[in-house]
Amino acid sequence: MSEQIKEKETLEALTKTFEKVNGIVQRDKRVIVETDAEIIPGVLLYAKERLKFTHFSHMSCVDWIENNQFELVYILWSPEDKIQLIIKCVINREKPIIQNIDNIWRQANTYEREIREMFGVEFEGLIGAKEFILEDWDDIPPMRKDFDTKEYSSKHFFDRPGREDAKDVRTVITERSGEEIPDFAKKYSRD
Amino acid sequence: MIEKKDSLAIGEYIKNFARKHSLFVLAYGTGCGAIEIPPTMTSRYDAERFGIRGAATPRQADVLLITGYLATKTLKRVIRVYEQMQDPKYVIGFGSCTINGGMYWDSYNTINSLDKYIPVDVFINGCMPRPEAVISGFVKLQEYIQEGKADGWRKYQNNIEEYRENQKRIIKNWRMPDYNL
Amino acid sequence: MREKTTTLYLGPQHPGITGNMMVKLQVAGDTIAKATTEVGYLHRGFEKLMERRNWLQSFTIVCRICVPEPDPNEENFSRAVEEIEGRIIPERAKWLRVLTLELGRIASYLLWYGGQNGSAGLYTVGQWSVGDRNYILDLFEELTGGRVYHMYIWPGGVRRDMPEGFRDKVLSTMDYLEKRLDDYDKLMFDNAIFQKRAQGVGIINKEKAIEWGVVGPPLRACGIASDVRKDDPYEIYDQLDFEIGLEHGSDVWARALVRRKEIRESIKIVRQVMDKIPEGEFYNKIPNPMKWKIPAGEAYVKTESARGEFGYYVVSDGTDKPRRVHVKGPAYVHGVTLLEDMLVGANLADVSFIMNSLGTCPPEIER
Repeated sequence: MSEQIKEKETLEALTKTFEKVNGIVQRDKRVIVETDAEIIPGVLLYAKERLKFTHFSHMSCVDWIENNQFELVYILWSPEDKIQLIIKCVINREKPIIQNIDNIWRQANTYEREIREMFGVEFEGLIGAKEFILEDWDDIPPMRKDFDTKEYSSKHFFDRPGREDAKDVRTVITERSGEEIPDFAKKYSRD
Repeated sequence: MIEKKDSLAIGEYIKNFARKHSLFVLAYGTGCGAIEIPPTMTSRYDAERFGIRGAATPRQADVLLITGYLATKTLKRVIRVYEQMQDPKYVIGFGSCTINGGMYWDSYNTINSLDKYIPVDVFINGCMPRPEAVISGFVKLQEYIQEGKADGWRKYQNNIEEYRENQKRIIKNWRMPDYNL
Repeated sequence: MREKTTTLYLGPQHPGITGNMMVKLQVAGDTIAKATTEVGYLHRGFEKLMERRNWLQSFTIVCRICVPEPDPNEENFSRAVEEIEGRIIPERAKWLRVLTLELGRIASYLLWYGGQNGSAGLYTVGQWSVGDRNYILDLFEELTGGRVYHMYIWPGGVRRDMPEGFRDKVLSTMDYLEKRLDDYDKLMFDNAIFQKRAQGVGIINKEKAIEWGVVGPPLRACGIASDVRKDDPYEIYDQLDFEIGLEHGSDVWARALVRRKEIRESIKIVRQVMDKIPEGEFYNKIPNPMKWKIPAGEAYVKTESARGEFGYYVVSDGTDKPRRVHVKGPAYVHGVTLLEDMLVGANLADVSFIMNSLGTCPPEIER
């Protein structure tokens, strides 16, 4: 365990500069902050230019369907201080729109295109082909929680039926050993 | 072997014999199974002993090796590649995911049974099949070719409507040349 | 006067790298004027599939995300789960994890030797190195039961202990490989064809390398010492003595030299692991996997794979299934934005040569 001095300094600099930023030091080399969606480009630019978080590691999106929210996560790395900074913000799930940041880091364009395709989040002024990974997709964006991949798969693709004499492997084992299937395992049956 | 002294059968026998010993495999690594192809082709396992070697383009190839899961986007390209190949042509389904979806049975983007879309002559199961299994699959295919049983391409020509219907269920935007005219 | 350009498609049928992707090239003569990548031919929807499976079932599919080197995926997933849950793993398990990661790195670099030279037309190196890679896969098979996919590193430790006599086999394989590496030097690095093809080709602008998100050997070939094993040490890498490859040329040649050095360092690490590995438990038993719930929380973990930083962002909402697992493979940036930028002005014949030197691996771009 180190003193986490640099982590605390980073957190302090961010919370002092922006009113709407608050967060914690998660562990060594990890700082997590939450902020408002409106000021995301400002916070990112500040982190890049002033706090030297020059490396854009990752960008992700989490679907919190029960709160009707999408959570966008920007993960930055400071090659000088060796700290990973995780910046999170939430947007409304009904009207998911957020500012585009690919003028700050160019490679964010790829992440944004993927999130646009997989979650249906719109980025203002994002340039790039609509189709990135999928082709001719006509259902709801697949990474949303209300999309059921198993149902889609059985509707569109052919399931091969198992052998007629095929049994649940647990039945075979229990028959052989003369034991019962434990209760906890029963609900994970084949169907 | 040939029992009657039938010149047609002798001709067929010689043709099949020649075909089975020069299988040019199209180098199209469609899935993760392609990682076991380099070991199969190189020094230790050396599939070239059996007359198996790579071909660069579909028109020169005899065998289409589907190495694993097929994403729907790839399926479109694979059908094109398959139709460009010259008869007689053979397909080997490689890995569990070509048989029933394998690990990805419930995925929204991978097909579950390959033989609904293109005819498959030999399946090799496993995730992933070892190079020995790959070679054994090829040897099986050679046996079928010699016996004249590897006639997937003929099945495809005869049942083209049925295959097309299945293919079009997945490929919504059907924009490709017709190679079967 | 505007020069006339022709459109050429490289791929999706085998562009000369480990996987399918397409690069649409606008060429004027044989110089590339514009390149656009198109990925998605290998998309399986792993992240969605994991949301349907419980934590232990997810572990069995993560390794399939990256084919040439599956271990960093297992390592990342296990470490993320352990970090969220606060599970402590036995000391011996950490050493065994490093052993598999480093063996995987050597195997991956050997495959890269073959790929890089194959795209320059030097097939002998591929015949040798893929053959030598089999010796490492044999070790994996003995340790884990699987040649390609190991499913060895799992939450709580590793799945098996080393079998009897494994130590001697590892050490003798390392001795053999070390001797072979000198042969590769003669065949590849002393080869005038390879030198002329590689030197001064595929240069990444150093100032922008960090800002563009370049990681791994391509970044270290720009003279920037950046390696997750040193910067954010995981498992027991801080107790090991090793160096990272560092070059300043930032071209294909420099990247090859970085890898040449690192494969030797990996052999050094494997030897250290074999010397220092402590006795004891290798697995800290997890509760009933069917009922196993991970407390709500999130973690970003990263591992240095053979192609660079492999990151996992894992979110748990307190249930028995992951809420979100987002994978960032090193090729995600290399294969799309960086490649599109680098190819402009390059020679047509160098495209798959450059793609190989960046370690572009499509399965981890689209997952």
